[in-house]
Amino acid sequence: MSAVELFPTQEIGSLARPLWQLQGQRSAPLSPAARAEFERWNERLQFADPADPKVRGFLEGSAGAVSAALVRDWGAQFAIRYLESAGLTRVYDGEARRVEMYEHAVRQMGGFELLGHVRSFDNKYYLKGAVTSEVRLERPYDLEEFTFVKEHTHATPKLPVTGPYTIVDWSFNEYYLRRQAGWMGREARQRARREFVVDVARKAIRPTLAAMIERGCRVIQVDEPAAGTHPQEADLVVEGFNAATEGLDAEFSMHICFSDYRSLFPALLEAKRCRQWAWEFANRDTEDHDAYAMLSLLREFGDSRQVGLGVLDVHRDAVETPEKVQDRIERAAKVLGDPSRIWVNPDCGLRTRSLEVAYQKLQSMVEGARRARVAHSGAA
Amino acid sequence: MEVHASLTGPFPRSEAIVRATRDLDRGRATPEAVDRLYRATEDELLQVEGRHSLEPRTGGYLRWADLFRPFASNWSGFEVGPVTRWFETNTFYRQPILHAPPERVAGSLLPWFPAANPALPARHAKVILPGPYTFAGMLDNRSGETSEALIHRLGRLLAAEVTELRGQGYETFQFQEPLLVTRPPSGPAAESTIAAYRSLGDAVGGGTSLVWTFFGDAGPALPLLGRLPVSAVGVDLAETEPTALAGFPPGRGIGFGCLDPRTTLLEEPTEAAARVTAACDLARPSGVWLGPGAPLDLLPWDAAVRKISALTATRDLLAPKRGGA
Repeated sequence: MSAVELFPTQEIGSLARPLWQLQGQRSAPLSPAARAEFERWNERLQFADPADPKVRGFLEGSAGAVSAALVRDWGAQFAIRYLESAGLTRVYDGEARRVEMYEHAVRQMGGFELLGHVRSFDNKYYLKGAVTSEVRLERPYDLEEFTFVKEHTHATPKLPVTGPYTIVDWSFNEYYLRRQAGWMGREARQRARREFVVDVARKAIRPTLAAMIERGCRVIQVDEPAAGTHPQEADLVVEGFNAATEGLDAEFSMHICFSDYRSLFPALLEAKRCRQWAWEFANRDTEDHDAYAMLSLLREFGDSRQVGLGVLDVHRDAVETPEKVQDRIERAAKVLGDPSRIWVNPDCGLRTRSLEVAYQKLQSMVEGARRARVAHSGAA
Repeated sequence: MEVHASLTGPFPRSEAIVRATRDLDRGRATPEAVDRLYRATEDELLQVEGRHSLEPRTGGYLRWADLFRPFASNWSGFEVGPVTRWFETNTFYRQPILHAPPERVAGSLLPWFPAANPALPARHAKVILPGPYTFAGMLDNRSGETSEALIHRLGRLLAAEVTELRGQGYETFQFQEPLLVTRPPSGPAAESTIAAYRSLGDAVGGGTSLVWTFFGDAGPALPLLGRLPVSAVGVDLAETEPTALAGFPPGRGIGFGCLDPRTTLLEEPTEAAARVTAACDLARPSGVWLGPGAPLDLLPWDAAVRKISALTATRDLLAPKRGGA
């Protein structure tokens, strides 16, 4: 499929880690459930050669048969094949090598200390760090990860990168705050946040993106799920995005979710190198609330960028039917007035769902997009 | 004038609870094992609160998924709704969807409050409840009731809850009202809020009632906050400049959120005490309640414990000066 076809599909974030990968990375013998999971998915996706002695040794529980690094490679190959076979146009590796989008990023940078877990909601948590000294970067990160994906997919790789504003918002600010006199006041906190955002963008993320592009990366999603947390700081989100992408040429998108997108405008209009907004909608789309009507704000502001349309709720197991996906796409297309601007994706990373449920959701999404394509253009 | 110090909201879950609840969700731990861990961690936190002479104590409200969940799960009329951002934080709550005028179910909430742990007598425990204005404003109201009527109704229902809890021996009630400062009510909504607090005040009777505001500058809301018939109103000093308190009616109780749970950087007690003193000199409160500016569950456990130390150090600087405990 070429990108000019209507309603192409893309992944948006991480997938749940298979049990066999989790156990294998710990060099633990595979449990019967993990082995069965590996075999079941390998039969379906053929991500590893069952005749390979290393695969056989891994499944038979031979101690030291494979390294943790090789298990991670298989995890990445699994995720790539999983997304490809579901029929997506743009794929990545399900972030198979990353612990979590925040922790992974700050572990690559100097200046941070991870302090402990903070609850996000229910029984979901993330490991949160503090910036305790000036942000620095020894070397660009994720280059090997990207190269691996590029070499193992027939689809277009789309690199996810945690954005500077989100890294700052999800961190405790010690270093930049301590430098402010009278840090307990609001103005001092605001100055310290701005310094922190700009440092992360310029000193850590931009060098990494530049190196990625040098290696052939063309499609980059800057993840800013925290963008809507402080609507009055929307200009800081943009300042971080612009600093991270300054002078770089790639197809940049910005992923935001669970936010009041309207509150970020008009500030977001200044993110000049962003070609696509990838937003969550399905979670808030109910029988009596059309979440896609919100897209009218792009018309109001004369913004004609592409939209990465969230059509799968990543917080519920119920699998959206292809009809539901098609309906969501068509409602969005009607509001936007231009169906060619729409990319179809899950609301956010599907790691919140089991691999089985996520796969069904993705297949349904691809089929729903196909139906919408047929309805609009007559092309399958 | 007395100086009190206590926690003002849920405490972070310990790393052990983090692991256990994750395991629970993955089917690798039993509810009974997780329950035992909750109890042991509550006991540990009660000891921490006791060692620091925090009074009343909370036990951390570790089991609460969010401020509204026990109500949305146990009262009629509600559905537990979608994951929704909790003010300007990277935490979320499941927004209650109200399909019909709510009704409480007597006795259903008692296990959620601190004295469910026999280690904590109710008279030494702080009951923390959603305030009626914040509750009404943070849910998805599809019941057909106006927001003003809903504030009234929630005030009455919460008052009935307070009456039941008073019967169990609880004496101190704190109502969480971040929305009062992030989206202050005006006109009929403001009057409904005051009326709701009259109901709550009647139910609290001779006990102590606190309204705790956070996540926003209390300055613009002070005229309304000053009219609430409660023992004290708490303000978040990370968001509210002490000089703003000059507009608060003298002779009322004030709570000072003198620690910022949005950073792990520890407050210098002398500086925190100086901010409280500056505000007291302007507002001349009848009593002072110190606490974190917002719930400490924005921090990891260890960092939150360090904040407790900063809180008590601040109190110890203020208490002799203010002539209280």
